[in-house]
Amino acid sequence: MSRSDAHETEGTDAEADPTADAIDLIGRDLAVGYPATDEPVVECERVLIPAGEVTALVGPNGSGKSTLLKTLSGQLEPWAGTVELDGEDVYAIADKRQARRLGLLSQERESPSSLTVEDLVLHGRYPHRGFMEAVTEADREAVEHAIDLAGVGHLRERELGNLSGGQKQLAWIAMTLAQETDVLLLDEPTTFLDLRHQLGVLETVRTLNRERGVTVGVVLHDIAQAARFADNLVALRGGSPYDWGPPDEVVTEDLLADVFGVDASVGPGPEGPTIRPHRPLDESNESDE
Amino acid sequence: MATETEAETSPRYGERFDWLDRSLAVTCAGSLAVAVLAGLIQVSYGTFSMSVLQAWSAVLDPLVWTNPGVIVSFLFGDAFAESLGLITEVDLPKETLIVWNIRLPRVLVAAFVGFNLAISGAIFQAVTRNELASPFILGVSSGAGFAVLVTLVLVPTFAAFLPLTAALGGTLAFLTVYAIAWQGGTSPVRLVLAGVIVGTVLNSLQTALFFFAGDIGTVQAAIAWTTGSLTGVDWEQVRTVWPVTLAVVAPGLVLGARQLNVLLLGESTASALGMRVERTRFLLSALAIVAAAASVAVAGIVGFVGLIVPHAVRVLVGGDHKRLLAGCAFLGPALLVGADLGARLFFEVVFNEPTQLPVGIITGLVGGPYFLYLMRKRQSLGKL
Repeated sequence: MSRSDAHETEGTDAEADPTADAIDLIGRDLAVGYPATDEPVVECERVLIPAGEVTALVGPNGSGKSTLLKTLSGQLEPWAGTVELDGEDVYAIADKRQARRLGLLSQERESPSSLTVEDLVLHGRYPHRGFMEAVTEADREAVEHAIDLAGVGHLRERELGNLSGGQKQLAWIAMTLAQETDVLLLDEPTTFLDLRHQLGVLETVRTLNRERGVTVGVVLHDIAQAARFADNLVALRGGSPYDWGPPDEVVTEDLLADVFGVDASVGPGPEGPTIRPHRPLDESNESDE
Repeated sequence: MATETEAETSPRYGERFDWLDRSLAVTCAGSLAVAVLAGLIQVSYGTFSMSVLQAWSAVLDPLVWTNPGVIVSFLFGDAFAESLGLITEVDLPKETLIVWNIRLPRVLVAAFVGFNLAISGAIFQAVTRNELASPFILGVSSGAGFAVLVTLVLVPTFAAFLPLTAALGGTLAFLTVYAIAWQGGTSPVRLVLAGVIVGTVLNSLQTALFFFAGDIGTVQAAIAWTTGSLTGVDWEQVRTVWPVTLAVVAPGLVLGARQLNVLLLGESTASALGMRVERTRFLLSALAIVAAAASVAVAGIVGFVGLIVPHAVRVLVGGDHKRLLAGCAFLGPALLVGADLGARLFFEVVFNEPTQLPVGIITGLVGGPYFLYLMRKRQSLGKL
């Protein structure tokens, strides 16, 4: 399901989409900042997380990837501009309903050390439960499925305090999966993981996307990994999108020089472009931002 | 949709009482035993000597238990009982009178105060994600205490409204703390720092008020307030504290436990899960303020209970807030009833002098070393 024209299509294009119930997430004319900043950290005319696809946000440190993701997830209201989920303003949706449709795995989180994996995953059902409501059969099913999908069945009774970083990460992903949202946004889910766990996480996300048609937006540090994994890339530089589209169009030697400041050669590969980085470019070659 | 979850794994979680495990049951049962035992000792000894058996049969005196008028007038006041047309004038034996009128209310107030302070501390610790938080640290106790002192010293005619003024003072102090800490959101560290600032100022003001006190009696009463004392409490204090506890604090706990658990996953996660974090945090804080103010209103500022009980319970039953709050609801009363036993009877038993200590002194003497022990035993203390 490659959509090479994703970045050229204007407006919503749900009718052209094979996964009819999947949902586009669109940000328009965004200016995003924090209370402590004078200037917006992210400025972006249009960013699209296309329905039913996996979109990776890439860029160097401080390029605004996480900020943009937070804004798209409805957690950081932009100073200007709108974020729309299936044509509906994300910031106008009531909190719990929003959390049933949009899941965010944030990087800023706390893992209470005596909490078991199972209980953590059950917390993912928070937006589905009423104030006093007991755990329903649907909750249990969602929890089981999430645990299954994330492959943490063997850890379910373990406490978070006794898990490795990778195991903890998978447990958190399971929690986000239990939320059963149409859109899943993940902020650097592979950082600090060994290669095996990185691939495990990405595979889980891919499976979810394929099986349930979940729309995925993910911040990835590793451009090569992103190029292999995602249907679309959004490359950010200095808080604005530099380019977006399918990996084989976006990943070029120019992009690696302009955005990441590295001299690299890009060649075709069996699963997306392959990148061979050579050396960092001089600071002076970087853009002023 | 997930249709094929393995049928044979029947997940145990989420059942109504699956959180009630052995460690919690033992904690609660043990605490209850301590509280009951301490309470029974408390009602058995005193200036008027009676045998333990006499005292215990006085507690169970059928003349009290079979007379709704007596019970109602204890819990709701004479006027209310009479308005219901119940007979409140019952001839009770001397032992029963002493136990029921003087000694038992003190035990009950101690239990309620312990309950409220422990719960208040547990909530504040979770809300600020700080193990060192307590109603005292966050300025709530000082605010309530200051309000109580102002009432006692400057407008003694309002003494009947102490619980109200205490709650008001606690709320104002906490709002001030919140406002100082607020910068487009709050953080645990800023909250605690602001609490220390406000608390310090209020404590100075409290001390300053002593100079305005008319007579030495008021000063002594004021000192008893600021150290926390149960000397001389009777059914009036019980009537002050129980409705608040049962009508506000207890239901709040049932509703709040899961919110606290989710809040502990971090603000971003809680918010991404659809919780309105600031609002939830504020409501939970309000609950903790009410709990703290209710106990300050009847017993003054009893230190350390709000700090150490949640700690001890966390060690015993873990960090889940359903379990933690349930544990606090039992251990808090046990600690305070036990401490008050020491406060009332230590001098009497050891030196044969009828001097009573404020209970806050005992909780401080017990709590300080326990906290020291925790501090030495654990590598890091502070962040929850």
